[in-house]
Amino acid sequence: MSDLPNVNEFNLGPISCHAFNQDRTALALSFNSNVVNIFRKSGSGWSLAWTLAEHDKHVTSIDWAPKSNRIVTCSQDRNAYVWTLDSASQQWRPSLVLLRINRAATFVRWSPEEDKFAVASGSRCISVCYFEEDNDWWASKHIKKPIRSTVLSLDWHPNNVLLAAGCADMKARVFSAFIKGNDKKPAPSPWGEKLPFNTVCGEFSSGTGGWVHSVAFSPSGDALAFTGHDSTLTIVTPAAGSVQTIRAPSLPYLSALWLNENQIIAAGHDCAPHLFENKGQQWAFSASLDSAVKKADVGFTARDTFRRMDSRAQSTTSNDTEVHTHHQNTINSIRAFTGDRNHVDQYSTSGIDGKLIIWSTNNIAKGMSNLHL
Amino acid sequence: MAFRKIDIDALEEDALGQDELDFQEIGEARSRQEVEAQVNSRAQEVRTLLQRGNTGGALSSSLQSPPYGRGFEAAKARNTQTVMEVLNSIKVAEVAQLVKNLNPEEQDVLMKYLYAGMAAPEQNNSGVLLAWHEKLTEVAGQGCIVRVITDRRTV
Repeated sequence: MSDLPNVNEFNLGPISCHAFNQDRTALALSFNSNVVNIFRKSGSGWSLAWTLAEHDKHVTSIDWAPKSNRIVTCSQDRNAYVWTLDSASQQWRPSLVLLRINRAATFVRWSPEEDKFAVASGSRCISVCYFEEDNDWWASKHIKKPIRSTVLSLDWHPNNVLLAAGCADMKARVFSAFIKGNDKKPAPSPWGEKLPFNTVCGEFSSGTGGWVHSVAFSPSGDALAFTGHDSTLTIVTPAAGSVQTIRAPSLPYLSALWLNENQIIAAGHDCAPHLFENKGQQWAFSASLDSAVKKADVGFTARDTFRRMDSRAQSTTSNDTEVHTHHQNTINSIRAFTGDRNHVDQYSTSGIDGKLIIWSTNNIAKGMSNLHL
Repeated sequence: MAFRKIDIDALEEDALGQDELDFQEIGEARSRQEVEAQVNSRAQEVRTLLQRGNTGGALSSSLQSPPYGRGFEAAKARNTQTVMEVLNSIKVAEVAQLVKNLNPEEQDVLMKYLYAGMAAPEQNNSGVLLAWHEKLTEVAGQGCIVRVITDRRTV
């Protein structure tokens, strides 16, 4: 396992969203269009294996259920499809989901047990979908109150019942998505004990406005992190009754991932993953994990600098417009790649520059030791 | 692209409106007298601190609990003036250190006032404000500017 970021360039346009299968040999991507492309690993690269073209409009989110090997996709055409691989023909077959929404679907995630999934949408509700054996289709129940605007992101609690939602009304909320007849009663958690469907277990805001772009439960599910368009990361710990907002110096984060109970990665418009750490009950920004900045600086001697200035007839070098990170544009999605929920070893990021990069968390320890020098 | 000019929220009964968002971010509106009294007493306090030469204290206290919400235009203008007085009376050499001493919340409020000041170039010295802006961005980053745009609690 190399510690260097593994960059996969597709050059097929901006990547809207990505998802891997369980053993990480297949990858589903959507390149800012209405089709989902599934690639299979071939050598060190990826080769196109299937194209799923059922949606009419822009695909907004993809999730791949690891155990049951089913893919769920959602789109601005207000539909979601569950895809299953037909073993005889080796083709992916879609089945339509009754979302009952009248605006674009924005985000979809399977629950940890893979027996239901949740679809966020612009019609100010979350459709919690479950399979109805009698009718042989995916039906849905709506979480409506008190959502006031488009829901932009979701994350499931490991107990398969609680669901966090980040919303364009500047709030992050925790709901119960308990489906009678489908779910077992969850054990009491810091979020609450009695949890009928649509119970609001918490409603949080960073205080400085901004749409909530991303929500994530900690590995244990006892804490919630969310990022907003106000360049903040907020960590909520209900057991301690604490809501801590970190005002970041960078541009807003669009996605966040817990590496373990004390480390969070967030990335977005700054094109680099940033690390936040819990040091003695106090969360703080630690470092940017893309060291490409340093690499670009190395090897430029003063002599080189003056020569370049001379050749371009410049008086200063300040009009440098290069982006010194591996990603050359906004990162819109971070997902765990290897390791388990409690300890992520590698994670993947995809962005508008059309790259998918796999990062090792071994870098973190190394990067930190460099900082001490 | 004529359809982009259609107010689709007008067709929606239950649209998320300005009032609700303001309430969500700012809370219950305070009375005008209360806000104006607070702004005036702070102006006095800041002036006293400036006369004593305590520029750091003056800067910090001018940035405490600004008048947020609609309907306080007079109080907002008065408070902006107080902050501008402080900014104008501080030497350029001191700026970098003073900005570093502010806490993140005060830095965000200061950035709001810098933009509010630059919005009225006939009243304020934009050169001074730009010098502050440069130093503040070095310390608080672009995130600080983003928060001026997203925050509904305007000054």
